[in-house]
Amino acid sequence: MLRAGVEVGGTFTDLVAVEGGKVIVGKVPSVPRSPDEGAYNALVAGAVPIDRIDDLVHGSTVATNAVLERKGARIAFITTQGFRDVLGLQRHDRRSIYDLSYQKPASLAPRRDCFEVRERILADGMVETALDEVSVMRLADGPLAQAGYDAVAVCLLNAYANPAHEARVAELIRSKLPNLLVTCSSDVAREFREYERASTTVLAAYVQPVIARYLERFEGKLKGAGFHGKFSIMQSSGGRTPAEGMKRNAVTALFSGPAAGATGAARLAARAGYRNLITFDMGGTSTDVCLVVDGEPQLASETEIDGLPVRTPVLDIVSVGAGGGSVVWVDDGGMLRAGPRSTGADPGPACYGRGGTLPSVTDAHVIRGTIRPKAFLGGRMTIERDKACSVFAELASRFGMSLEEVADSAIRIAEANIVRAIQIVSTERGHDPRDYALLPFGGAGPLHAARIAEDLGIRTILVPPCAGVISAYGLLAADYVHHETATRRIELKPGVEDEIRAAVAEMQARAAQRFQEIGIEGNPKFDVTAEMRFVGQAFEVPVVLPLDRLDKLTVAEIGDLFEAAHERLYRHGAAGRKRIEIVAFRLGAALPLEALPTIASPESVGDIAETAVVTERKRTFDCPVKARASIPLGGKVAGPLLLEDSTSTIYVPEGWGGEVDQWYNLVLRRVA
Amino acid sequence: MKNVDPVDYAVISQSLIAAAREMGAKLIRSAYSTIVREARDCSAAILDRHGNVVAQAELIPMQLGPMATTFKACAALYPVDQLAEGDFYINNDPFEGGQHLPDIFVFTPIFVDGQVVGFGATTAHHLDLGGGAPGLNSLASDIYQEGFRIPPSRYSMRDWGERGMFQRLVAANIRVPDQTIGDLNAQFAANNTGAGRVHELCRKYGVATVEAVMAELLDYSERRVRAALRAVPNGVYLGEDAIDDDGITDTPLVIKAKVTVKDEEIEIDFAGTCDQVQRNLNCPYSSTISAALSCVKAVLTSPDIPFNEGLKRPIKVTAPYGSLLNPRHPAPVRARMEAGYRVWNAVMKALAQVVPDKVIACGNDTTYVGAFSHLGPNGYKIYLEVFGGGYGASPTVDGCDGVDGPLSNCANAPIESLDMDHDFVRVLEYSLIPDSFGAGATRGGLGFVRRYEVLKDGVELNLYADRFRIAPDGLFGGEPGMPGACEVKRGDRTFRLKSKDRATLEKGDVVSLICGGGAGYGPPERRRRELIERDLAEGYMTRDNARRLYGDLARAAE
Repeated sequence: MLRAGVEVGGTFTDLVAVEGGKVIVGKVPSVPRSPDEGAYNALVAGAVPIDRIDDLVHGSTVATNAVLERKGARIAFITTQGFRDVLGLQRHDRRSIYDLSYQKPASLAPRRDCFEVRERILADGMVETALDEVSVMRLADGPLAQAGYDAVAVCLLNAYANPAHEARVAELIRSKLPNLLVTCSSDVAREFREYERASTTVLAAYVQPVIARYLERFEGKLKGAGFHGKFSIMQSSGGRTPAEGMKRNAVTALFSGPAAGATGAARLAARAGYRNLITFDMGGTSTDVCLVVDGEPQLASETEIDGLPVRTPVLDIVSVGAGGGSVVWVDDGGMLRAGPRSTGADPGPACYGRGGTLPSVTDAHVIRGTIRPKAFLGGRMTIERDKACSVFAELASRFGMSLEEVADSAIRIAEANIVRAIQIVSTERGHDPRDYALLPFGGAGPLHAARIAEDLGIRTILVPPCAGVISAYGLLAADYVHHETATRRIELKPGVEDEIRAAVAEMQARAAQRFQEIGIEGNPKFDVTAEMRFVGQAFEVPVVLPLDRLDKLTVAEIGDLFEAAHERLYRHGAAGRKRIEIVAFRLGAALPLEALPTIASPESVGDIAETAVVTERKRTFDCPVKARASIPLGGKVAGPLLLEDSTSTIYVPEGWGGEVDQWYNLVLRRVA
Repeated sequence: MKNVDPVDYAVISQSLIAAAREMGAKLIRSAYSTIVREARDCSAAILDRHGNVVAQAELIPMQLGPMATTFKACAALYPVDQLAEGDFYINNDPFEGGQHLPDIFVFTPIFVDGQVVGFGATTAHHLDLGGGAPGLNSLASDIYQEGFRIPPSRYSMRDWGERGMFQRLVAANIRVPDQTIGDLNAQFAANNTGAGRVHELCRKYGVATVEAVMAELLDYSERRVRAALRAVPNGVYLGEDAIDDDGITDTPLVIKAKVTVKDEEIEIDFAGTCDQVQRNLNCPYSSTISAALSCVKAVLTSPDIPFNEGLKRPIKVTAPYGSLLNPRHPAPVRARMEAGYRVWNAVMKALAQVVPDKVIACGNDTTYVGAFSHLGPNGYKIYLEVFGGGYGASPTVDGCDGVDGPLSNCANAPIESLDMDHDFVRVLEYSLIPDSFGAGATRGGLGFVRRYEVLKDGVELNLYADRFRIAPDGLFGGEPGMPGACEVKRGDRTFRLKSKDRATLEKGDVVSLICGGGAGYGPPERRRRELIERDLAEGYMTRDNARRLYGDLARAAE
């Protein structure tokens, strides 16, 4: 079975192809104006026989870029009479409270493209004002027909409680304008708060035609080369969906890049027996952090893109501007900072010698000795230490430190930024990071992992093989996943158990049907989360319901589960004797892969047997250097040590040691 | 930064700021009332052992100043070194460092090895604290009619909880205790979260290092403000603005600011401001200071400088005792935000004379509070929202449309959340008002209307707002923004309420809260043509208005 994962990033397109024990890993430059070309090139450059691929999984930033660069579809927005300005008024608040020139995030549907229809549904789903179909037809005959729209987003008030009017609006428009794509809020995000739901619906309509066209183009090209395998696409939830599914709901592609990495990391670690993890992907400009509980990356309750709210299942990934290219600077109050600004891919850090003049984290590593100039990217890239030193000279004199000391300080500040991001996904969500293993990946992750682990009290680190291409691997490791949400208010009282069970069964049936529609066979594995709160609150706490004993579960037990979760998160709420309600259910349906592909570094390499002079925490010492591939399965290492491979360097400080496990992961443990 | 390692400083200071932010987020997410959980009318901070704010969540500017003053009133009576674990300070007294009664300040000491190293502090605007009307008594003539007063006090968590005597006392004096007690619980919990984070920092870095960083954070803000002030030419600059009236007569309430810049210090004196009034427009001294400081910070410093006690050191604010901006006890103060906004405008106008590129024109700059309430068989139901309007134009960009004013930052309550919670009013419309901006080279932000249908007889509306009569002023040739209004349509008849008013409504009434627009900056003739065309295409400006403003240019654009 030949499986291939192709991940299109901003700078590079990554490839991982696996067949039996054979692994192909590749990296080619992306083609921003036509990403499918880059994706296709990656397969060709890796000499992957396209006509023999059984399973092709694809991830891309096409949807994300369409939003960030405002290059999505031309869309119209339709809402309930009186609320045309919902996208412009937003939430009436400011993100930066002292900024006198504050501007709101720009809506994807300008005011001229926003329209109203007469209707009103109430919070309980009752129809207060019947849909005025004439007002819909007037739009369909008028502006919708004439203004050249690609798609229409429909978000009516309280449609989460009763989608009938939205469905009818869509039907009427389609009957008049069959080529116009219509997206309803009740199909995209069935939860209350009209601005957030409208924003999600508009995003969905905005990226849908772009993704559909893109996938058609790419599929056409593949078919031309004889491809006849399964073709699926990564979603923001960390699961994959057949291309057919993506064409129905493209908003789920918005955050697929980071999701692929977290999923790949979680799967690799689970196979090695580590199910509770904190993953961090440190690249050139930023670091993405994710918490994995019992093998599954956690979902976020809410997120946004370019300031616009998104309410679809998205992995809870926190991003900070801390990467190898992050600029080291001094603010006008004299404080040393690292990031969030980056030197970017071009010119890049000063040590690249491409004209960069700003000190960066990578320059700091070169100065402090943890990146060896001649070994960077397996020696494929020239690194000029002199240039790094010259851009750090001013900082050194300003703080009265040596070059090496100020470089080390800059790295520690960048690490502290990552620590804070990890605290957001762990401590702030009620999880103690000490109960988790740390899994670094991306080019720069393994250099920082040990010190970050120490700051958080984490004692185990798992460095996967091929740490630089874990995102592309994640595509291959992802299950087929579909999520259902249902807003359903049920107050916890004795006797409502049946109602809860019926709601869950209904969602399971819907998800199974959806799988069938998009051509996925097999019995899906379900998980169900109840979104719960004390009556009177507005934000819910997710509570996982144990499906295996749902038939015996009592209301009292569900209440206890909720109170414990609330107490963990907010430090109050337990034993409150207050009324509790379920507001919504979220159901995940997953069809796991039969077998997880392996990526290993099988070929053994000779020892480098050199030493580097490293300055860290005010100490300068000789640090041995080895090739990562020179450590055999079961082989042991002890810090201080630098382990190099072609995609990243692992720094093992004194006090840390470990061994290579049977899956080629390097497992590091704090020994002192 | 003599005795703190730069890395420790960077790490610990950012952690303190993160802790304050987390406190704010958790307070909002576990609260009960719409005003806290949806409007986010609340603030959170970490204080040092002396009660200086060292880190804050960026929520409501006006609430950040009084953290220290309400704390100090408590600590003066109940010294910090006599606190025991489980104790807390609480205070909402406008004459003891507070602002108005609904904002209750709670402080939880952070103990490390038996010593207090700082405080987790939060404030939230509580929906109802008793008094002469639900949510807001717009006709109160003294503070006793405005609600339940909690003087600077120290209690223990033993006094809280369902059988705690302090909690029972509070609950017995307010109209919607479930929501208010729930919100206070969220405050206590958020304080504990902040305390936990500071505790972890102390364990890891040592109390001495954390305290040194706290001190350095104050010095850091001070240095940055002083650096900003050095760039402003020395001199005396005057500014003035006015509130429509006191709700009884038609006389404007004039506020005068004299701003003196000398080297790296600044003095703001409000001598010449009108006397205190009989209604709730009086502005406690701590509110006056907050408003003036917020303006100086926003104009002269970049947004990232932490707002803390260090920032206040080079800035001196004085107001005559007995004036609107420093009223005598027991003046009513509920609507103090209106005077606060005129303080902001007066100081802004003074600074406009010396740093014209850094100031903005007057916005609608008004807190427009509508409190709808209904007494049914199951007790009171209260729905209260806080609205802004259009922002003032800046030298480079148009004022933000339909947004809360610069001293506040309340979000709106989603219509769907109101539909879920309230059976006595329903929102019919929430939309921008075309032409409500003041024209200019950059225009003011648009105002908006929130229109309600009353669903039951006997719904009470209490209202305070401003800028119904005196429009916000433009700068350097910009035009004034549209004033606000409150209209009630009953059958065929429409009547207007005043900006400080109350009314008993009938089923079927339609109430429009009309929030005004911001003023323009620079003459309209200098407006870029593509912006005129955009405003027409988006319907921000009508064709008639475009012809009035731009004549031939507008016709050409059509």
